[in-house]
Formats: sequence, structure tokens, C-alpha cells
Amino acid sequence: MDVLLQQVVNGLMLGGVYVMVAVAFTLVIGMLNFLNFTIPALFMVAAVMMWAAMAGGFGADIDAVLDDVLGAPNKWIAGVIIALVVVSLASLVIERFTYRYMKAKYGDATEHALPLVSSLGFLIAFEHLVIGRWGSDPLTIDSPFGNASFHLGAVQFSIPQVISLALSLAIVFGLSLMLRKTRLGRAVRSIAERPDTATLMGVDVGRIVPVVYVIAGLLCAIAGILFTINYTTVDAYIGDKVATVAIAGMVLGGLGNVWGAIVGGLFVGLLEVLSIHFFGASIVKVPIWGMLLLILVMRPTGLFGHTAIGKGKF
Amino acid sequence: MLLEVAGLDVRYGRTRAVRGMDLTLDSGEIVTVLGANGAGKTSLLKALQGIVRLAAGRIRFDGADVTGWSAPRRVRGGLTLVPEGRQIFVSLTVHENLQMGAYSRSDPVDAEIEEIYDRFPNLAARRDMSASVLSGGEQQMLAISRALLSKPKLLMLDEPSLGLSPLLVIELFDLIKALNRDGLSILLVEQNTHMALQAAHRGYVLELGAAVISGTPEDLVNEEQKLEAAYLGGG
Ligand SMILES: Nc1ncnc2c1ncn2[C@@H]1O[C@H](COP(=O)(O)OP(=O)(O)OP(=O)(O)O)[C@@H](O)[C@H]1O
Ligand SMILES: [Mg+2]
Repeated sequence: MDVLLQQVVNGLMLGGVYVMVAVAFTLVIGMLNFLNFTIPALFMVAAVMMWAAMAGGFGADIDAVLDDVLGAPNKWIAGVIIALVVVSLASLVIERFTYRYMKAKYGDATEHALPLVSSLGFLIAFEHLVIGRWGSDPLTIDSPFGNASFHLGAVQFSIPQVISLALSLAIVFGLSLMLRKTRLGRAVRSIAERPDTATLMGVDVGRIVPVVYVIAGLLCAIAGILFTINYTTVDAYIGDKVATVAIAGMVLGGLGNVWGAIVGGLFVGLLEVLSIHFFGASIVKVPIWGMLLLILVMRPTGLFGHTAIGKGKF
Repeated sequence: MLLEVAGLDVRYGRTRAVRGMDLTLDSGEIVTVLGANGAGKTSLLKALQGIVRLAAGRIRFDGADVTGWSAPRRVRGGLTLVPEGRQIFVSLTVHENLQMGAYSRSDPVDAEIEEIYDRFPNLAARRDMSASVLSGGEQQMLAISRALLSKPKLLMLDEPSLGLSPLLVIELFDLIKALNRDGLSILLVEQNTHMALQAAHRGYVLELGAAVISGTPEDLVNEEQKLEAAYLGGG
């Protein structure tokens, strides 16, 4: 019983990472009707930047500078800053070559499959940049926070994991509040429903879209950072592994639905850990994708989706 | 002259939707643009708002050459379109739709929104509901109110009476005339020729993208035969 309870806790902690990636997916789908395959790449880039800053991956010179400025135990701070900056810049480049390029060339980027293909290109390019620099073997760090933990009964809670879960939920709640209550949030929702009419209100769609790309990118980056800190092993394909599960979580919650992505993300985290517990790690994808296919057949709008799949529902 | 359009062309690929259109509108005027389906009325308004590209021509508005301005910049400059089919945001509440209308402004608008609620109690009663619950007439009132919140100098309306009951059409035109009496200039595209000519100071009849008749409502009525021909798609 205690073992099972421990697995449930671990599953929810892992789910916290999936929640942020699922919300990043759902944000771009909800607004632009675009399944953005660069999201796994951004997650991976942030996770690897975090590793590189902490494990000397940027080379001896830079490592020495980080040691001098921050001191060895605090190099994770540099990792956080580098990951956030790199992912923000990458998000802007990606926006330029997926959404904006298509919009300029074809009028309405959201109606074309091309952004999806070019985003897939970005995913592969980023993975190979990382492989070219650091290889494809697992990259590991020592946890900067050791084994800090506390117990409730027989269940162990890792303090960094608890903080990570709290942080990711707080960020997603903040985002949802922003969407519902602020001027920017209303603009995003109006673009999601009718981009042309939003323009008539004076919304500069071409300036809001990059902002949303960066917000989605930062969600992935924070998820990637927390992943490296908590699970200490990453590689060039970690984005694929995490993001495919996050997509399952997003679909479970309903495309374009922020609240659905939260529940769906936590659920797939739980499902993954419990599947490993009961069936072993080798077939963990089977229950997750089995559940996804079941959902697509039985309830294609997801558990909470209220209207048809597509854009325009936050 | 508030609005001065010269030699305006709009093309969609091979289709020439507007050809060599000249149009003027004085401050305080209601000018109507009439024409059959496909005559190019909507294309003209979209070009004025800056949401379709001009193939040729120049637009002067409120003392500035706005030809190269983006649509949001034109909204900030006082040029606002109420689009064909109202285009309410149904995923937003009634109140949020009104807030979107004021998107281009940075000054407080709460008092103006309250005035709109006083004018349209039906909107006030549904302020926190999804705008999808509104009837067609209420949606048109919301669309116009939303546009008014951008504080336009020129309000452009694209077939606002479409789909409204005769009683609501009368109410709508009363509103248009009242707004004009308060000083608002209006460019009105309509298929309801009778009502439009009654409200307008001047008008144009479009046929295949070009103005074939222009002048006062009396002029237009006098050339009624030509007008009728335009509506039958002849010439
Ligand atoms: N996006 C578009 N792409 C291609 N052709 C278009 C497009 N929009 C309009 N047209 C064509 O341009 C011409 C003018 O259309 P427009 O919508 O401006 O006419 P309208 O006078 O507003 O008609 P209606 O009274 O039906 O609203 C028509 O022949 C139409 O088929
Ligand atoms: Mg039209």
C-alpha cells in the first residue's frame, strides 16, 4: 500500500512536468490551430543547457568563469538563465519561420499543414545540433540539491520535486488568469476565434503571435529545467520522450483547453509511473498510447472539450 | 474632407473587385455605397480599413495619407469598420467584446461602456454571458457598440441591416442617424436601398467594382432606372 502511495506521489510529480509541456502545446493549438513540434525541441534545449551549465558542457573556459562568478554549487542559476534566454530567442526564430513566413506567403498560416512540417524540421535540426556538440549518450549531473526530502507517514517527498510541482501549477494558474483577465489575454482569445476581426479591433496580430510563442517556449524551458534538476539525466531525444506523453495528456484534456491540459498532464504522469510499477518500464508507452487512442475514438473532444476539435477555446 | 479616395483598385488574383474607385466623405456626413451582390462594396471597405491590399490608388483620411498604414494603425487613427455579418466573438462575454472594442485605446473606457449599457439594456442584462446568447439584433447592436468604443472619427458599416426584422431595421437606422447627429461621420454599405437613401446625405452606386452613379439621394432616385439595372446585374 505504501509502495503504491509512493508511486502515486511520484506520478503526480512527474505529471507536473507534463502539465507545462501540455499547456504549451494547447496554447499554440488553441490560438493558431497549429500542433507545434518545436515544443519538444525547446524542452530538450532547456534541459541540455541546464545540464551543460552544471556539468561543464560549455567547455573548460566558460566553466571556470561560472565557477568564479557563482561558485560550483550555484552553477544551476547560470543554467536557468541560459536556458530561458536561449529558448526565448529560439522561439522568436521559430515564429519567424513557421507562422510568420506562412502568413506572409499564403495569407492565413493557420489553414496550412506547412507550419507543422517546418516545425518538425526545427525539432530534428535542434536535436542534431545537440548531438553534434554533445553526442547522443545520456548526459548526467549530480542533483544540486542532493536528496533533500521529507516524509509523510511512509511516503517520501523530494523537496525539489514538491517545489517543482508547486511552481508548475502556479505558473499554469497564472497563465490561465492572464488569459481570462488581462488585455493581452483577451487579445489572444479573440485571435484564437477570429484573427481578422481581432485586427479590426486594432490588435496587431503579428506582434501578439511572437509573444505567445515565447510564452509557450518559456513553459517548455521551465519544464526542461525542472526535469534536469529532478531526474538528473537528459539526452538529445528527451524532448521526444516527454513531449509525446504530454501530447497524450493534452488530447485527454481536450485540445486548446488549459484546464484540461493540467488534469491530462497530471493523469499521464500518474499513468506512466503506475504502468512502470505494474507492467515494467519496457512497455510503458503502450498504456499511454492505448489510452490516447481510446480517447480519440470514444471522446475526440477530450474529457472536458466542449466543442469540436480546433482552435478558439481557452 | 475627412476621407478622400482616388483611383482605388482591389484585386483577388484575376478578379478585379474594385476598379478605379474615387470617393469623398466630408466630416459629419453619412455617405452610402449601394450595389448588387458582388459589386465590390465589402472589398472597398476592407481596403479602406487596410485588411486587403490595394492594387492601386491612394487613401487620405483626416489630413494624412494613410495608404501605407496597417489596419491597427488606422483604427488608432479613428477609422473603424463594423464588418459584414457582425463577427461577434462568441468565446468572449458581452462585456469582453466591448473591452475588445476599446483595445486600441489606453484611456479609461468604463464610463463609456456604462453609457452603452444604458442605451442597450439587453446588453447590460447579458454582460457576463457568452455573446453567443444574443439575438441577431442584439449582436448587431453589440457590433456597433464595440466599434464605437474605439472612438472612431469615421464609422464604416457593412450591411448592418442584413437579417434584421423590419422593426429592428427601423431601430438600427434611428441609431445611425442619432450617432450622426452627435457628430459621427458614417460610410454605410447597404442593400436596403430605401432606408439607406433616407438616412444618407450622399451616395454612390457600385457596379462591377466601379461607381456608375453618385450624388445626393435625389440624384440617385432620379437615375433609378440605372440603379435598378445595376441591381439586376445589367448595366
Ligand atoms: N477573398 C476573395 N478572394 C477572391 N475573390 C473575392 C474575395 N472576396 C471577394 N471576392 C470577389 O470580389 C468581388 C467583390 O466581392 P465583394 O465581397 O466586395 O462584393 P460585395 O459588394 O460586398 O457583395 P455582397 O453584397 O454579396 O456582400 C466578387 O466577385 C467576389 O466574388
Ligand atoms: Mg459584402
